[in-house]
Amino acid sequence: MMKDKRAGLIKKTPGYVMTMIVLLILLILSVLLAVTFGSVRIPFRDVYGVILYQLFGIGDASVYGSGKIYDVVCFIRLPRLMLSLAVGMGLAVCGVIMQAVVKNPLAEPYTLGISSGASLGATVAILLGVGARFGSNYVGVMAFLGAFGISVAVVALANIGGRATSVKLLLGGMALSSVCSSFSSFVVYFSSDNDALKNVTFWLMGSFAGASWENITVVLPIVFLALLFFWSQYRSLNLMLLGDEAAITLGTDLHRLRQVYLLVSAAVVGFVVYSSGTIGFVGLIIPHLVRMVFGTDHKKILPICALIGAIFLIWADVLCRIILPGMELPVGLLTSIIGAPCFIYLMVRKRYGFGGGDS
Amino acid sequence: MKIETQKVELSLGNAKILNGIDLHVGEKEFVGVIGPNGSGKSTLLKCIYRVLQPGKGAVYLDGKPLKSYAVRDSAKKMAVVAQHNYYNFEFSVSEVVLMGRTPHKRAMERDNAEDYEIVREALKTVGMSEFENRSFSTLSGGEQQRIILARALAQKTPCLILDEPTNHLDIKYQFQLMDIVKGLNLTVIAAIHDLNIAAMYCDRLLVVENGLIVKSGTPEEVLTPEFIKAVYEIDADVLKDKNGELHILYHPAYRKMRKDHEESSDV
Repeated sequence: MMKDKRAGLIKKTPGYVMTMIVLLILLILSVLLAVTFGSVRIPFRDVYGVILYQLFGIGDASVYGSGKIYDVVCFIRLPRLMLSLAVGMGLAVCGVIMQAVVKNPLAEPYTLGISSGASLGATVAILLGVGARFGSNYVGVMAFLGAFGISVAVVALANIGGRATSVKLLLGGMALSSVCSSFSSFVVYFSSDNDALKNVTFWLMGSFAGASWENITVVLPIVFLALLFFWSQYRSLNLMLLGDEAAITLGTDLHRLRQVYLLVSAAVVGFVVYSSGTIGFVGLIIPHLVRMVFGTDHKKILPICALIGAIFLIWADVLCRIILPGMELPVGLLTSIIGAPCFIYLMVRKRYGFGGGDS
Repeated sequence: MKIETQKVELSLGNAKILNGIDLHVGEKEFVGVIGPNGSGKSTLLKCIYRVLQPGKGAVYLDGKPLKSYAVRDSAKKMAVVAQHNYYNFEFSVSEVVLMGRTPHKRAMERDNAEDYEIVREALKTVGMSEFENRSFSTLSGGEQQRIILARALAQKTPCLILDEPTNHLDIKYQFQLMDIVKGLNLTVIAAIHDLNIAAMYCDRLLVVENGLIVKSGTPEEVLTPEFIKAVYEIDADVLKDKNGELHILYHPAYRKMRKDHEESSDV
């Protein structure tokens, strides 16, 4: 009987558990299907042959354990797929978190200047060779440092002269973001190395071309851990949207938590940027779409956002690989082309306007 | 539950808002805090419900200093219905009320059948049961305020603090909200603008002016024509009807001015 009552209370989203199961199945199907797409045509049978051999040792080792097909599937397609899954998940989740932290439904993972910080890191790495001692992916490492550094700086700036409020965080982010952008522009303007400039541009647009198992073994666990952490924090995240005063009367002091969430998500975004550059709009559009259907309760929307984000970027990357014959589109470009009109549509829609809020 | 403050002082910037407030609210007492705009009544309540910290002095809950309570524990002692404000996000009504259970929950703890039962009961108390699946943002101001009251009830606290809860509400909802609160039989501290409402519902009134409690007593003792003239600068008569209910009748200044004008032009 108790169960019936409970069912009545959450009637508004009866199928949310069902939705998660469906999305999980969709994600698995996406991975299985997406692995067969690519610039080199490989028959289904061979692709799955390699995967089955790798996972369970089934099949003929001489065919599936080495060779060209094995290389393409294991070292190009699967890493890319796993990376786009992790990045999509990470960006969508961090978008949700950032919207809660600054209490504005139009925030995204890069709102607090993280992308500018990352760009600056990458630009000085590529054009000036700063940080070359960090190894082969020193550009990524510098981008991570830039992204994480600027987040720490924003939190510090917002704490000057009293508690860090969401407005102060936003303004601090804007200020530091323009500082970083102007430094990047400065470096770019005085550079004459055309190849490096093209490299910077490609990198800023975001791409999974650099995917490797080394990247994934770092990024994927971090994204999963962050997702679990934030999921466990759903009550505080919900309270964040009510504001600090209401939260205190409900027994939660958000001041500390807000900074913890910000730094955790900065770390996630930093690693995302490290592995694949800046990919825009995923962290804005996915949370929005999910909120439109499932409301704002973070207990529900966090896992759903993670799944949809992963599925979305897997297919966006597939599209990037096959849309232009013989060459590859940067995935960040594609997400912007899809995302910007969606963003304008959401902004114009009355229910998601800026008005009415006291943030 | 008892609430006390001892010599609470608070400055915002250079302005001293509270100048040493001593108050005592006893078990199940319904205390109204009145005073003109800017007198510090809202600030005083914010010190009690921990949004502001007193510069000097202290607040005591059941004899223990407020500071010795974790924020979570004080939220189990007192719930707050503050001035009405809007939210930018889509929550359903039952989700908003369910947030009232937050102080009773550990980080990983799930909502259980008891929580849902409490939510259901709170919604019933404020007469909003049929709204449980509606989106909070689609409700009217009065309905939203009743949901916030339900959220406070879901906290299951012995004390309720109302910080001008009926602001922006029309008369029907003002009375409705106060009736519900009165029926709960809890310790209540309420900042109230409307003197008639204060007179009707409160056992005792505290008058805050310039950051000090200048008067305290039953509504009948406090609300005299002389007092209203002195504090609010308006002429008023205070009548008692046959049920013993106190009514304040205001006399706007323009009538007197017009009368004076007519008299002077007659001459």
